[in-house]
Amino acid sequence: MRQFRLFFRKEMLEMGRSYKWLWVPLVFLMLGVMQPIVTRFMPEILKSAGNMPKGMTITMEPPSGAEVMAQTLSQYNSVGLLILVLSLMTMISGERQSGVSQMIFSKPVSFVSYTAAKWMSMLSLITVSFVLGYAGAWYYTAQMIGPVDAAAAVKAGLFYLLWMWFAGSLTLLVSSLLNPAAGIAFVSLGAALLLSLMYGMIPEYLAWSPGALPQLAITFLQREGGDTGKAGALAISILCMAVFFAGAVSMVKYKKSKI
Amino acid sequence: MTPLLQVDGLTKRFKERTVVKGISFSVAEGSCAALLGPNGAGKTTTISMLAGLLQPTEGSIQLRVGGKPVLDRRPYIGYLPQMPVFYPWMSGKEFLNYAGELAGLTTREAALKTGEWLEAVGLGADGQRKIGGYSGGMKQRLGLAQALIHRPKLLILDEPVSALDPAGRKDVLSLLQRIRRETTVLFSTHVLHDAEEICDEILMIKAGEIALQGNLEHIRREYSEPVIRMEVGGEKASQDWLASVGNKAFVLQAEIAGTRAELTVADVEQASHELMEDAVAHHVIFRKFESGQSTLEDLFMKVVQA
Ligand SMILES: Nc1ncnc2c1ncn2[C@@H]1O[C@H](COP(=O)(O)OP(=O)(O)OP(=O)(O)O)[C@@H](O)[C@H]1O
Ligand SMILES: [Mg+2]
Repeated sequence: MRQFRLFFRKEMLEMGRSYKWLWVPLVFLMLGVMQPIVTRFMPEILKSAGNMPKGMTITMEPPSGAEVMAQTLSQYNSVGLLILVLSLMTMISGERQSGVSQMIFSKPVSFVSYTAAKWMSMLSLITVSFVLGYAGAWYYTAQMIGPVDAAAAVKAGLFYLLWMWFAGSLTLLVSSLLNPAAGIAFVSLGAALLLSLMYGMIPEYLAWSPGALPQLAITFLQREGGDTGKAGALAISILCMAVFFAGAVSMVKYKKSKI
Repeated sequence: MTPLLQVDGLTKRFKERTVVKGISFSVAEGSCAALLGPNGAGKTTTISMLAGLLQPTEGSIQLRVGGKPVLDRRPYIGYLPQMPVFYPWMSGKEFLNYAGELAGLTTREAALKTGEWLEAVGLGADGQRKIGGYSGGMKQRLGLAQALIHRPKLLILDEPVSALDPAGRKDVLSLLQRIRRETTVLFSTHVLHDAEEICDEILMIKAGEIALQGNLEHIRREYSEPVIRMEVGGEKASQDWLASVGNKAFVLQAEIAGTRAELTVADVEQASHELMEDAVAHHVIFRKFESGQSTLEDLFMKVVQA
């Protein structure tokens, strides 16, 4: 437990000194706030662009608050995921690559504590960044577009947060398996996108897949209902995270250094 | 003396290449052993296995503390890698403190020891600076401090002085000299001189096998042979004569190159008499004639080149 605290403190300090604690939450906040603002001013923007054919009027149904929130979540699924993977990809491989791990692992350290500290700091960074961004999106949506059902928004947020946690866990697992940063980014991002795309194509077969989480979150907001397998997807995702963690612990132990 | 470290049949295979080939040795408590070998001999691989970073393919490594073998060696070992790497964003002081706490010191002890060791390795004034701005020598010394902060029983160092300039090398060697009074030391080097300076045991390895091992004094006595080194003038008569001395009965081994020769002989006095007489008869001009004992350096070169 003491070692976990030491490792965790070090991870937090590192994320602070490398400004991850600044730029990741900021990017998430920007992504969150952008959608309602852009939506609100879209008609003006189009008007001022001014090259509409004469006599043509665009009649845009002003979107509801919930719709804007759902669009925000889709934003997170592309740019947000990319930022997340990029900021986490070298968390485990980096120390092995540089060689610091040789000094750390020749000391009587627990591999579980080491990996758990990485996991906890990853979850903290994701949670803070996402909550900040999502809260920002909610605030601006309520101000500029219209009210959002609180229960739906919270539920959607939680499901989406779990999806981000899952993607973060996946990235750390890949980071414990591979060394080249580009490879880690490619595999983690590819796997996460593939999971959510595949759910989009054949939802009936993948109702319990973690890839269902982003879509499920959006469904809460659109209140279409009827989607089954929420509990299943939840359980499977948490199970996957636990398995990823266990896998990373044994990989860290097995590949102590690159020699 | 009881061995602190006992290694039996240690082997490491990478794919189909065997890099360490079943080496066995022991290190007695309180001694200083040097793992000596040319580049690529397998020193780093051996040391990584001792430090627990690499899983041996075969063989056993046993560390005995209080007479009993321990299951986990790590609490009793201090290790310095060949090229120590730190977190560049930490200060030297922060890193030492972190290393001390990870090794099991309490917060208070760690803080205390950090101060002591920074001073001891001469980084007292640079403790607050970021490691990213340290020079190679400073990193080496910080690495030494982190290996020693928890008072290990066995200090394992991989080429601790190879990357240092002569002054830095001297600093580190004298530090090791001081440490070895309290701690058993095993370090690798490809420079015989470093080993001779502080060690009492040597293990020469070559291509993954032990070529020679034992007490330094013992080896020095055992393997030192009488040698005659000479250099003659450049004219034909002298050179022809030199080329032929290898065939004399009293010469056990001869290395002749141009105008120089080094002869290993059975008896120096007899050999020098006969050589002199012969040389006079052949009108040879000497530039240098020296008789003495072969050094450990000669032995090392012989082992390495054999
Ligand atoms: N991971 C690896 N995979 C394959 N071969 C390896 C690996 N690590 C080391 N080797 C090989 O093992 C041999 C011994 O390497 P090692 O690093 O132990 O030598 P060394 O004695 O420390 O040399 P140096 O003085 O250059 O540090 C080398 O030929 C090297 O190419
Ligand atoms: Mg080496």
